[in-house]
Formats: sequence, C-alpha cells, structure tokens
Amino acid sequence: MKGILLIARVHLITAFRERVTLFWFLLFPMFLLVVLTLIFSGLGNGGSTNFSVAIVNMGPSTGGATDFAALVESVFDRAATPSEPGKEPLFSLVKPAPDEDKDAFIEREQKAVRLGNLAAVVVIPPDFNQQLMQSIAGTGAGDASVNKIVVYQDEANAGSQMATSIIKQIISGIDREILARTGKFDEQKDIPTDTIWIGNASGELPYVDFLLPGIILMGFFVTGLFGVPGAILFARDRQILRRYWVTPLTTPRYLAGFALGHVGLCVVQFFFLYILGRFAFGASVNFAQPAPILFLLLGSVTFLAFGFFIASLAKTPNAGMAIANILNMPMMFLGGLFFPVGGLPLVLRIIVFINPLTYLSDGLRMSLGVEAGTFSLPMTVGVPLAWILVCVLVASRRLKWDVER
Amino acid sequence: MKHYGEVCAVDGISFFIRRASVFTILGPNGAGKTTTLEILEGIREPDAGEIEVFGTRVRRVDRTVKERMGVLLQEANFEPYLKVKEVLHLFASFFKHPLSVDSILDKIALAEKANAHVKTLSGGQKQRLALGAALVNDPDLVFLDEPTTGLDPQARRNIWSIIADLKAQEKAIVLTTHYMEEAEALSDYVCIMDHGKIIAEGSPQELSARLGQETIIEFTAGALSSEALVPLAEGCKSARMDGELVTVETEDLISTMEHLLAWAKGHGLELKNMVVRQPNLEDVFLSLTGRRIRE
Repeated sequence: MKGILLIARVHLITAFRERVTLFWFLLFPMFLLVVLTLIFSGLGNGGSTNFSVAIVNMGPSTGGATDFAALVESVFDRAATPSEPGKEPLFSLVKPAPDEDKDAFIEREQKAVRLGNLAAVVVIPPDFNQQLMQSIAGTGAGDASVNKIVVYQDEANAGSQMATSIIKQIISGIDREILARTGKFDEQKDIPTDTIWIGNASGELPYVDFLLPGIILMGFFVTGLFGVPGAILFARDRQILRRYWVTPLTTPRYLAGFALGHVGLCVVQFFFLYILGRFAFGASVNFAQPAPILFLLLGSVTFLAFGFFIASLAKTPNAGMAIANILNMPMMFLGGLFFPVGGLPLVLRIIVFINPLTYLSDGLRMSLGVEAGTFSLPMTVGVPLAWILVCVLVASRRLKWDVER
Repeated sequence: MKHYGEVCAVDGISFFIRRASVFTILGPNGAGKTTTLEILEGIREPDAGEIEVFGTRVRRVDRTVKERMGVLLQEANFEPYLKVKEVLHLFASFFKHPLSVDSILDKIALAEKANAHVKTLSGGQKQRLALGAALVNDPDLVFLDEPTTGLDPQARRNIWSIIADLKAQEKAIVLTTHYMEEAEALSDYVCIMDHGKIIAEGSPQELSARLGQETIIEFTAGALSSEALVPLAEGCKSARMDGELVTVETEDLISTMEHLLAWAKGHGLELKNMVVRQPNLEDVFLSLTGRRIRE
C-alpha cells in the first residue's frame, strides 16, 4: 500500500515541479476561466474603477436638515464628481428623468445590471426620512425593513460586487453623518441596507456558473489527454518503468498508484478553479452534493482511460503528444464546455455526439442545477462509461510497459 | 534460450553464480549479455530453459525472488524532478524489509545531496543513486549492468569501492562491463559470450593462462602496409595491425625483440608507445574470435 501511495505522490510532485506540466494542468485552465468570464460577463469594459450606478429616490424631496434621502443622493453625487480635473470619478450616476415613472426606471436599470451594463441600482424608499427619524428616536414600529436602502446587484459580476461593497461603505459614512446631525451618534445604529441578488432571482444563469463546471472538466480533460500518456511514455522511453519492473512492484500496483495520483491532481485542479470562480467571479454553483462529485470522478476516470488509450497507440512520447493534440481541439471545443453546442452543423454535431465531454458536461451541469440537461441521466453516465470500457480494452491489449527490442 | 524473431540472442548457456563473488559476463555488443541479464532479472522470459535461484527452480523470476535481488540497469534513469531521498524512499516502499534511506545515502556517499533533484546530479552521482536504489532492500544477489560506463576515473573508482564492499558483505554480484581492467580488477569468475553462446569461462588468471607463456608487445609505427608486417611475423608467434597499433605475440621475448628492432631499422621506422605486457582478457577474446570486444 505504501508503494501505491508513493507512486501517487511521485505523480503529484512531478506535476507541481515541472513548469510545463504545471502550466497545462493548472495555470492554463485558470487563465481560460478568467479570460472567458471577463469577456462574457461584461466585466473589464474600459478597465477602470469607474462604476455605473443607478440611484433613485422614491420619496418626495422635502428639503431641510431632516431630508436624509437628499443627503444620501448628494453623497453619491459627490462620488460621481471628479476629485480633480481629468480624473475619472468613482461612480457614473444614472437617475430617472423628472417626469419619468420611477418603478419603470428601476425595472429598466435592473435589466441593465443583469446584462452587465450597470454595476448596481440604489433605491431610497418613499418614506425613508420618516422611518429613519422614528428609528433614531426609538419610536418606530420595529419593522427594520421599511427604512432600508435597497441595492440591487448581480452576484455573478465581479464589478457589480465591488461597486456594492463601496456603496455599503458610503452608506455607512452617511449613517454616521445623519446621527451626528441629530446628535445621536451611536455606533450600534446603522442604516440597514439590503442586497437583492438579481442574477439568480431572475432565473437567468450567470455565465460563470455555466462556465465553471466546463472549465473544471476541461482541466481534467487536458490532464488526462496530455498528462497521462506523457508521464507513461516518458517513463517507458527513459526506462524508468523498467527500473520499477525489476523490483517486487507489480503493474496493477503501479497502475493503482498512477490512477490515485491522477485523481489527486484532478482534486487539486478542482479546488484551484473553484476558489477562483467562487471568490473572483462570484460563482454560486454548489459542488458539495453526491451527484456532481460522482460526475467529476467519472470525468477524471474517463480521461485517465483516454490517456492510457493514447499511450497504447504511441511508440514514443512525441507520437503520444501528437495524437493528443489531434484529439484535443475537436474534443475540447465540441463538448459543450464553453458554449452550448446544440445549434452546430450536422458534421460537427457528429463529433459532439460521440464526445464523452458532451455527456459529462451536460450531466455535471444538470446535477448542479445550472442546466435542464439535453441528455437523459443514463446517457450522461453510460456514454463515458462506454468510453472507459473501450479505452481500457484497447490499452490492456496494446499498451507496452517496457521498451521494445 | 531466447529468440528475437529469427535472431537467437541467447543460445543454450549455463553457469553458476556463487555467494561472496563477482561473476562477470564479457562480450561484444550483441553477444547476448543484456538478454541473459534481463532473463535473470525477470524482465524477459526465456523461450526455453530454467533458472535456479535461492534454491528454487523458476521459468521466470517472481516477486519473492525480486525481494532478495538488486538491479542496476545499463540506463539508470529516475524521474528528473524527484529529490535523491524521494527516489530512495520510493524504491524502499516496493520492498517488505528495506534498509533505512539514511544508511543507503551514507553507503553511496550522497547524504549531502539528499535534497537535490535528480536532474541536477552529475553522471557519477546519478550512477551512485542508481546503485543505492539497487541496494535499498539489502539484496543477496546484485546485478550491475555496465555500472561504470561513461564515468570519469574517480567516479569509476568510487563504484569499484562499493562493489568491493558488497563482495565483502557476501553478496553474489553479476557484472557486465566493457572495461577489461574493470573485469580483471573486480571479477572472481568471468564468462565470455559471443553470438549468444559462452565461448570461455574461468577466473581471469585461468583465462589468461590459456594463452600459455605468451608475452604481448604493442607499439605504433605510423602508416604501414600489411606486406611490411610479413617479415616481422616470421620472427614471432603472430603480428597484427589495428589502425596504427601493431600487436606482436611471442613466446621468446628476447629473440623477438632483437628481430623487431632489426625489422624497424630495416624499414626506417620509429617505434612509439611501446608496451610489453602479459595477455589480458581482451587478448583472450581476440585469440578466440579474431575480433576485439569493442569492435
């Protein structure tokens, strides 16, 4: 058992210490996740820290020292004014026209948030001033929701999240200003704010939630397609395997260690990509369920078998990499990893239909609840299993574990 | 016996390897040395024949035998990004009763390189690591396939010293080498192979004695025609030319030397790099096959 664990460890260590391997198995999928999310989530337009924010005061403007709604608006106005000439302000504000219906304005700007054209919508409720005064005086009805400033944002959009974070800080500052004006500064009393997640509530899928499972599968795919035959053929070619075979280590034990190391690499890949997707782009998919975990494991094993299949066809490491390259592009881009593949021409759809990635990505997304799913559950499990069977059969007959004479 | 297609790589050979001895297989490339070793190491199965090892007859060496066996392959490679100690830990994990990695590092004098990556080691250090991996299970039977090929004289001496220690620990050692001086310095028993067969065997002294009381004279004399050698050959047992090197075999050194000097003077030749020595294993092979081992 110790031998198996150490073979697995060797597989992991080598991947981390060899820069080329590290790039392909970790940095490349992370890079792709960042680039695709930035392109398709609308973040990154302009590349500055200017956020477009809509603000609307639903109440009447009363004027005077207790018009706190006007105070909130003025603070945002200041944030939308350049601090010095030529410098871009923090916010670009969008406000309703004087005669515009405010509810219609909110609806329109919420849509802009969904589309990624706007970072957030700030709504000051109609009786904000009155409720706030009662709250400060301690005579309110106790319903905290009435004097909330509502901020609508899209959790899948990193720009939207950053803007919301800044808005919350601004509102916290306003709170202190209001309490100072009323002579009741109390650190315990905040203006409550509430955040409504627009992406999920609307039923529209944030792109990062669609993309993240695909990128994770792509990582597994690249590791299997290139990493497995690369490692085996290199070790065979350099007679590293032969050195193992003159010890009591048997081929099944070596295979068990190798497979364990491969799955370990996939686990590492998963965590790096998940953390990036979750914390940088606000991905909200929940992988901690039995069905997604089983699909991820199925994906990892499918591409491990694919790797053995390629290794069995190649006589040298270079030949193995050439075969992997030939299979790489059509399989990666015609497997529904990055975009839906339903509308492709018939010729391309043939590749889609025999591609195990199609079924794995469909099944994984279905199990995560981010897609209704194109194929039935038996298909999404059965087709990858059939590929595993075919690859293992071919590899068991053809794969040579030692250099030929 | 072992065939590769039509080629018979090993053809009906039989020998014994004793404890506390170095058994050396000598022969030119393609003689069948490596195939013989691969069969003994369990890499290949013979087409016919059996191996009796540690008192048990087997067709192919199994795990039980491998537990007591250490192997240094001709091309000793390890994963380049592993550290020296990681390689030894890995190989130790394959055996039931391994030695401690620290004791192996001391034995192969690589303790200070324990944390170095394999790819940063010199040729001699890599070979010592390979030897360490072969000794990690404290084997009773050790196979060393050309352990010093490509190493500098100092690195070669280091390996020789480790082999001498192994012999002192009563290990049975099977060695193949291209270096005659290595075979003569280390071997207790030599088996000379050619075309898959054993053509001579015995201790280095016994094999050299086969050439009788001969003395070898070697020198270089610039470009010579083969006709020019004919008068020289008349005054000795044999005279051969290999490039610029002339080798003369004689059983009467004094009269041959007189004859040689007269021949050189007559042809106006300047004799350079002259060596007078007793026959070695190369001469034995040459006398048996008419070829040099390295040809």
